[in-house]
Order: sequence, then structure tokens, then C-alpha cells
Amino acid sequence: MSFRIIKPGFLATVQDTGRYGYADRGVSQSGVADEHAYHWANRLLDNHVNDAVVEVTIGNCEWQALDDMEIVITGADLGFTIEGKAIPLWQTLLIKQDQVIRCDSAGQQGSGIRAVIAVKGGFQTEPQFGSRAVNLREQMGQALQAGESIMTLPLTIEARTRRAIPYYYKPDYQEPLILRLIPSYQYELFTQEQKGTVLGQQYVINSASDRTGCRLHGQAVQDVPSKMVSEGIAYGSVEMTTDGQPIILLKDRPTIGGYPKIGTVLSLDLAKLAQRQAGTQIKFELITLEQAQQQRRQFNTFFGIR
Amino acid sequence: MLEIKIAGENAIIIYLSEQVSEHTIDDIAFFTALLKQELANVIIDVVPSYTSLMLSYRLDKIDHDTLCHQIRKLIETNTIMIKMNQTEVVDIPVLYDSDVALDLAGYLHEKSLNLDTLIQLHTERDYRVHAVGFSPAFAYLGTVEPRLVTARLSTPRIQVPAGSVGIADNQTAVYPIASSGGWKIIGRTPLDLSLTNPDNINLFKLGDKVRFRSIELAEYLALGGQI
Repeated sequence: MSFRIIKPGFLATVQDTGRYGYADRGVSQSGVADEHAYHWANRLLDNHVNDAVVEVTIGNCEWQALDDMEIVITGADLGFTIEGKAIPLWQTLLIKQDQVIRCDSAGQQGSGIRAVIAVKGGFQTEPQFGSRAVNLREQMGQALQAGESIMTLPLTIEARTRRAIPYYYKPDYQEPLILRLIPSYQYELFTQEQKGTVLGQQYVINSASDRTGCRLHGQAVQDVPSKMVSEGIAYGSVEMTTDGQPIILLKDRPTIGGYPKIGTVLSLDLAKLAQRQAGTQIKFELITLEQAQQQRRQFNTFFGIR
Repeated sequence: MLEIKIAGENAIIIYLSEQVSEHTIDDIAFFTALLKQELANVIIDVVPSYTSLMLSYRLDKIDHDTLCHQIRKLIETNTIMIKMNQTEVVDIPVLYDSDVALDLAGYLHEKSLNLDTLIQLHTERDYRVHAVGFSPAFAYLGTVEPRLVTARLSTPRIQVPAGSVGIADNQTAVYPIASSGGWKIIGRTPLDLSLTNPDNINLFKLGDKVRFRSIELAEYLALGGQI
């Protein structure tokens, strides 16, 4: 009951909703970068909301099924094929023992950069501190290696209808991205002019971005408030570095940090950000806490997340 | 001082002091435990730090205003009870030697100290855990003797070996795993503080006491230390 990794590609890690309850001892949240693609994959398979998937970044990978399986691939269209035929994304697929899934390229420009491969029942790696999420910065688990096998549950063969996401739910990763920003932390410490710089311009995603943080580049914010006493940093909080450029802190971020923060990005927009490659333009726009919570509650209710 | 600010769509940050001090650590350690216990069904995670306490909460259980109200009430009506019998001190053996400490020679020169004085000053006091973060089980220990205070490296190292003991500003710490970092490294512990041993998750908690102990090469090797 397993998949064999022939070629892991640029980066493939097991992820779930993340690791909770240990942040007071320095353990990062971790977890899947694109929550939208992740929850759809598990929903299509009738999985539990926390079942583990593999997050494939940029592609160039090859996997072999060692048993019959039911899988779903969502997120980035990295050009996955099975026996030479394109795999349709966002729908369930039965694959047979020995069949090989492959993606040779990094996909088309604008087709996203992170794919989610989910399997019925979730991948069965050993949880650490209540989660299967891999965090390379913390040496919590490791990236999938060539030759490694990853366990799955036995497939109970039933005549199941193939299930697919309704067309209008499919995200468009080429759509211009606006990140909705909740005023938080040191927001009022920034002057009108500094806020104007952040909210009034197009930023470009810097290539030095990863699962820890997304670095942006644009016209620098002048005279950023100096470094402060380190404090807990929330998912999506936007640090302003001393050189006036923002870093959006993501799932693998450290628990505490000492740069002033101008706001916090709505998590639903961070899922979209996870599919944007370096060089993509983004913009910030303010949102109230009430609006942000309403949006997130709706998402949670839809997917049955607590 | 009590100030609560928004930290995110389901997170708030509670400021209990403007300045870092031993008293603040006791307050924060106490309120971390109190809130975790009293609000267990709504809190997802708590991140205590030097002067603040950030927490994330379940949107299906509570809204922002109700949570802030409950927290204010809890904090304002609870007197701080510090564990008076907290005598347990975490003991960290350290080899202070240039063979395992990348910055030791330069640091001694910079601070005009000889090795014996450094060892004496670094090992003579109990440190408190001021914060845990950066990476799991990375404890910010304070505060060091004024003569040991030093700036961070101007360029952080790509790779600091696991077990390295460093100083930055008025804090000292051990790197539980190999990672990048800008602290000046003055020694190394042979202990494995990484989460390879899951028990280490509870090794350092805010407010705990830690003491360093100087060891010789023989003991360092016997305890599994690598050169």
C-alpha cells in the first residue's frame, strides 16, 4: 500500500493542516501552503480535513503506484501525465498498480507553482508532535527522497463515481492578486506616508521566497520604525525590514520575531499567493477584522474545518 | 500595563509590559499557563515572549470582542502566583574551547577577557528563559553579566553547528539544531537538545532556570560531544 518516489523533483514534502499546541516551546505552525487546493483535494476523496498530502513545488517528479489507488491532484497544473496521457486536475482518479505519474516540466507560466497530491485516507507517515507536516527549517521531517516509498491505506474498491470540482470553483492563478491586509500589531506606528507607500504601489515577489516567508520588492518605505522586542508572529503578518521592504510570514515561519509589522494578510489570500511565482506583481488593500473573519468563517464552514 | 491588539484574523497579542525584566517573565509565564487552562476550548496556540503573549483562537467558538473581554477579566482579577518552590535548574555542560567554538578567540580579544574569566562569568549565574523561539527548543537566556555583552555578527553564519553556545546582546543561548545564525559562539554542549529526542520539547519553558557548567574535553567526549 504505497507510492514509490522515483524522482522527487525540486521539492516534495508531506503536509497537513499544521502543528498546533507547541508554539510556546518554539515549534512552528507549518502545514500546507495552499489551503484552498489542499481542502478541495481531501474533500473530493471524502478524506478527513487533516489528512496528509504531498505538496509538490515546481514539479519535475516521477512516482510509481505500488498498488491500486484513488488519488486527486489539485493546485498548480505542472503537466502531470499517466502513461503519456494528461491527468485532469481537481478530480478523482483511479490508478493501477505499477502505473507511473510523471511531470517533466514546471508547467506553463502562470499555472501555479505548488501541486497537491492527495490519496484516499491520506499518506501514512509518522506524525511528530501531532502533525505530519514537514518543516525543513526546523528539521521536522524531511523532503521526499528518490527511492523512498510512502505508505497509503489499502484501497477498498467500490464502484465510485469520479468526482470533480465544479468549474466555477477552479482558481485562476493568473488573475491579478490583491492581498487583503488587516491592520494589526504596529500598524498605527507607521505614518500616513509610510502606509501610503505600502498600500499605493505594486510589489514584485522576490525569488528569495520560500515556505517561511514571501519577500516583496518595491519602492522602499522610508524611516521604518527600528527593531523592537521580539514577539509572537501570526500567519500572514507583514514585517517591514530595516531596508523598507516587506516580508509576509508564512506557515514555516519562526514563532517569534523582532521587526515591526504593518498588518496581517487574510489567510485565504495567502493560499493564492502560494501559487504565484517570483516576478509576479501583487498589491495590498485594507480589510477590516470583521470582514476578514466573515470570509474565513465561510471557508471553514464550507470545508468543515473547526 | 495591559494592552490587547489584533495580530491576525484569528490572533491577538497581549502586551503586559513595555520593558524586559525578570518580573515581566514571571507575569507572562503565569498568564500563559492561566489562559491555556481557562480558555482551553477556544485557544489554538500561545506564543509568550519577552513582554507579550500572542495567541490564536478558534473562530467557530468565539469572536474577537468576547475573547478580549474574557482575557481582560482573567488578567485583572488574578493575582500572580509564582511557583516559590521552583528550585530545579536545567544543567548544560559546555566545552569552552576554540576547537568547537567558532568565535571564542575573537570574542576574548574583543572583550579583553581571558578564558578563565569568561568561563567564570558565563557559568556563575542562573539564567531565566526569556523566550523560546527562532527554532524549537531555542531558549533565549538572560541576562548575561555586563562584561559579556556583545553585538551579533555583522553577517550571520550560514551554518552554526548543533549544540553551539552563543552570546548576542545581553542574551545567551544554545543552538539545538544546526542552523544559520548570528550569535557569537563561545562554546559547545555535548548534549543533544534537538527534537530527535521528543522529551526535549519540554526542556525549556518561559521562566525556567538554566545554568552552564564548564567541562573538560574528556567529559565532553564521554557525553557524546563531537569535535
